[in-house]
Amino acid sequence: MNDQHIVSAFDRDLEGIQAHVMKMGGLVEAAIGEAANAMVARDQELAEQVRAADKAIDALEELINERCANLIALRAPAAVDLRVVLSVMKIAGNLERIGDYAKNMAKRTSVLVHMEQVEGAHASLKRMAHEVQLMLKDVLDAFIQRDVDLARDVLERDEGVDQMYNALFREFLTFMMEDPRYITPCMHLHFMAKNTERMGDHVTAIAEQVVYLVTGSMPEDARPKATRLDA
Amino acid sequence: MYDTEKLGTDVNQTETKISARNVQVYYGDTHAIKDVNVDIDAKSVTAFIGPSGCGKSTFLRCINRMNDTIDVCRVEGDIKIDGEDIYDKRVDPVQLRAKVGMVFQKPNPFPKSIYDNIAYGPRIHGLAKNKADLDEIVEKSLRRGAIWNEVKDRLHAPGTGLSGGQQQRLCIARAVATEPEVLLMDEPCSALDPIATAQVEELIDELRDQYSVVIVTHSMQQAARVSQKTAFFHLGNLVEYGDTSQIFTNPKDERTESYITGRIG
Repeated sequence: MNDQHIVSAFDRDLEGIQAHVMKMGGLVEAAIGEAANAMVARDQELAEQVRAADKAIDALEELINERCANLIALRAPAAVDLRVVLSVMKIAGNLERIGDYAKNMAKRTSVLVHMEQVEGAHASLKRMAHEVQLMLKDVLDAFIQRDVDLARDVLERDEGVDQMYNALFREFLTFMMEDPRYITPCMHLHFMAKNTERMGDHVTAIAEQVVYLVTGSMPEDARPKATRLDA
Repeated sequence: MYDTEKLGTDVNQTETKISARNVQVYYGDTHAIKDVNVDIDAKSVTAFIGPSGCGKSTFLRCINRMNDTIDVCRVEGDIKIDGEDIYDKRVDPVQLRAKVGMVFQKPNPFPKSIYDNIAYGPRIHGLAKNKADLDEIVEKSLRRGAIWNEVKDRLHAPGTGLSGGQQQRLCIARAVATEPEVLLMDEPCSALDPIATAQVEELIDELRDQYSVVIVTHSMQQAARVSQKTAFFHLGNLVEYGDTSQIFTNPKDERTESYITGRIG
């Protein structure tokens, strides 16, 4: 298929929207990384920056939705163009949620710096956040390159994140049982871990949108899902 | 949770009204329709789309043998309506056209009264026994054409005095007056304003419960709005035929995709 529309402004609109998604994705990626760094380094200033940066992410989501609404109204997109618009709106929603989780992580970091440090817990939480960050980077690449294989790869990797969360859950439980003074910080850390796990789910949802965008149908649910709650 | 897959198949259960096999059309040496096979559902709207000169109107005109009137035109292959070959020697094209009505791009009312425009077909086909019968057919047809309320007080005024949109609905009423089973529409809205277009589209949707409607349109949005099935023609080939929602969200053929998304094919 030819890549270009007869009406070139249509191409410009579509490209513009996708560029905004990539920009938004970049900001969210950075937010995850910095929120994790702030947590490990107990850096309140960096945590504050992450919280402040979320406004730009929210503004981009609004802008993307507005542009998509305009494009639907003015250009009546069909087939792949329609799928781009639909998936972009959902992806922007997912990115916004991930941004919120990163912000929440930073918020809890600001609380944690005033508490006793839980030795050893931060490293695995940071690894988990790092993995989600990598998955997000890959899924954004998959989106812009229309790479279904890479999107499917991201879908598979979410299970690893879930396992990391389960391991952390057990670890926090152990800390809390050892010393009740750790209960409050560990509760915060647990929420951070849970939020990171949810970020992974949103990345997965983005990967599904990429599959839909390229193939026209949602991926068949082949992803192994751990439904056990016996962690 | 609803089993949507199953619901879908239930709704889609339809019978075939028109069946075309290996249809070829030649204008002299030009091969205008190349081996078209298609099954058109009864009581549904089927849209033919494609760029100018792709053969969609030519194929539409095969369905009521309008191409017979063109000397250099030659049609090969089978076209069956309800299993009967319409190109059989025993078929009278005039009778066929009573069964397969047609509405054209430009409203073309006869230079007669509104009443006579509708009464003409039923008269020549002997569908009315007396004046009362004919009056009833005229009223029923004008109602079906969604124009009765606008013209009931001036049935004897000339049909050509109506607005464009009214004229087109008059022509649709005229087409349904002979109780056809199939209604062919060749760009019925291209000469109408958006409001008249919407009225005709609403009418097409209503006609669907009684007739098989086949519509040729250059407006892809119109095809998407009014039809259940869409066929995409390109250079005389039927490239893709399927559920309208599938054609417009996820076409299988690259040429269809290029066309409906407005890219250079």
